Amino acid sequence: MFAIAKEIKDIIKWRELLGQMVGREVKARYKQSILGYFWIILNPLAQMLVMSFAFSIILRIPTNAAANVPYSIFLFVALLPWNLFANSLSSACGSLVGSAPLITKIYFPRTILVLSTVIAKIIDFLLALTVLIAYMIYYQMPINLNILWVLPIFFIQQIFTMGLALFFAASNLLYRDIQYLLSLLLTLWLYLTPIIYPADIVPERFKVFFQLNPMAVIVNAYRQAVLGGGAPNLTSLSIALVVSFIVLLMGYGYFKSREKIFADNI
Amino acid sequence: MQETVIKFQNVTKKFSFQSQKTFKEFLPALIKGEETSTGFIALDNIDFEIHKGECVGIIGPNGSGKSTILKLVAGVMSPTTGQVTVKGSISPLIELGAGMHPELTGRENIYLNGAILGLKRKEIDQNLQSIINFAGIEEFINQPVKHYSSGMYMRLAFAIAVHVNPEILIVDEILAVGDSAFQAKCFKRMEEFKKNGVTIIFVSHALGQIQSFCNRAIYINHSKLVTEGSTETVCKKYLEDQS
Repeated sequence: MFAIAKEIKDIIKWRELLGQMVGREVKARYKQSILGYFWIILNPLAQMLVMSFAFSIILRIPTNAAANVPYSIFLFVALLPWNLFANSLSSACGSLVGSAPLITKIYFPRTILVLSTVIAKIIDFLLALTVLIAYMIYYQMPINLNILWVLPIFFIQQIFTMGLALFFAASNLLYRDIQYLLSLLLTLWLYLTPIIYPADIVPERFKVFFQLNPMAVIVNAYRQAVLGGGAPNLTSLSIALVVSFIVLLMGYGYFKSREKIFADNI
Repeated sequence: MQETVIKFQNVTKKFSFQSQKTFKEFLPALIKGEETSTGFIALDNIDFEIHKGECVGIIGPNGSGKSTILKLVAGVMSPTTGQVTVKGSISPLIELGAGMHPELTGRENIYLNGAILGLKRKEIDQNLQSIINFAGIEEFINQPVKHYSSGMYMRLAFAIAVHVNPEILIVDEILAVGDSAFQAKCFKRMEEFKKNGVTIIFVSHALGQIQSFCNRAIYINHSKLVTEGSTETVCKKYLEDQS
C-alpha cells in the first residue's frame, strides 16, 4: 500500500507527461482517417446492432424478466464497460513494447506508459457512452438515484483493470507470447461473464464461479444500477473491491520487480 | 576539486539474453534444467568519477560499452554489481527523437517531447518560438513529423533537448548528423551549457570534436576502462590501439 502511495506521488510529479501521453494516444490514433473520432462510436454501435440481432431475434435470450428492457440496451449497459476493460488490457499489453525507444533512453516512471493507455481508453468509453444515453432517451428508460452507483462500480473496475494491465504490460515485455494469451483469455472471458445473457439464468451450481469473477460482479452491478433493478448486491461488490485491490497490489508488485530489467530485455 | 556528481564504483553490467524466446522452447528447457540465459559482460569493473562542471569525452570502438555507461548514468538501466551514483537532473541527447510520434505535428511533438524530458507546459510555452527558430522549421511546424526530412526531424529533436536546463547533459554521437551550419549552432549551445556549469558527458567517434570540446576523456575498450586523463593523451592512446 505504501509503495502505491509513493508511486501515485511520483506520477503526480510527472502529470504533464501523463497528460501528453494520453493526448498522444488519443490524437494520433485517428489521424489520416476520414471518419476520425466517429469510429469510437461507430464500432460499438455496429457491434450492438449485430449482437442484438443474433442474440435477441435469433437466439431469443431473455433480459431481466421484471423490467421490460429492450435487449439492445440490456446488452449495451454491460458491453460498453466490458469493451473498456478488454480494450484497456489489450492496449496496455503492448504499451511498454511500443515505447521501446523511450524505455532504453530516458528515465521517467514506467507506470505512466501503462496508465496513459488506460486513461485514453476511458476517454473512448465516455464517447461511446453517448450512444447508450441516446438509446435510453429514445426508449424513455426510467432512471432513479440508484444510477449513482455506477461511480463506485466504475472505480472498482478501473482498479481491477489497472492491476491486470500492469501485469500484462510487464510480462509481455519479457515474453511476447503474453499478447496472444491475452486475446484468447479475453475471448473466453467475454462468454463466461454475463454480458450477452442475464446473470439470473446462470444455473445455481455455477453461481459461485461468477461470484469470484470480478467482471461478472461489476457488469451485473452496472445493470442493476442503470436498468432500475435497485441497489447492487453490496456483499458481492465488496468482495469484488477486495479482489480488485489484491490484483492491483500483485500486478504493481510484479511490474516493479521487473522494472529494473525492462531496458535490458526490450 | 569540485564536488563529484557522477560516480561509478566497481560497476559491472552483465546482460543475460534469454536463449529461448517462447514458452514452447522455454518450458522444456526449464524442465530439463538447461541454461535458460546466456550472459554477456558489457562493462567490467568500471571505476571513475566526474566532477561538477566538467566536460568529459568517452571514446572507444563500437560495442565497447560506451552507450551502456550513458544508460547507467541516465538511470534507465541498473548495474549488475557495483554502484552508480548520480546527483542532479539529467537531460539525455541520446538518439534524439525517441519520443517523436510520426503522426503528430511538429508543434504537438514539441509538447510531447518536452514533457518526456521533464519540462513543464509553461516552460514549453515560453520556449516554443525559440525551439522553432533553433530548429529552423517555422513553415512546417503544423505538419505531421512523418513528412519531415531526417535532417529536420533531428534538428527539431535537438532543439527541444537543448531547451531543457539540466545539471548533467548526456550527448551520444548525435552531432554526426545535420549540416555543418547546424553542427556549429549545436556546439555554440553546448559551449553555453559549459559556461553555465553544466556537467557534460560526450560520446563521439570524432576525436577532433572531443579534443576541442572536452577537458578530460575516458577510453573504454572491450568492456574495460583502458585509460583516463587529458584528452590529448587518451586520444593518442586510442589512435595507437586502433592502428
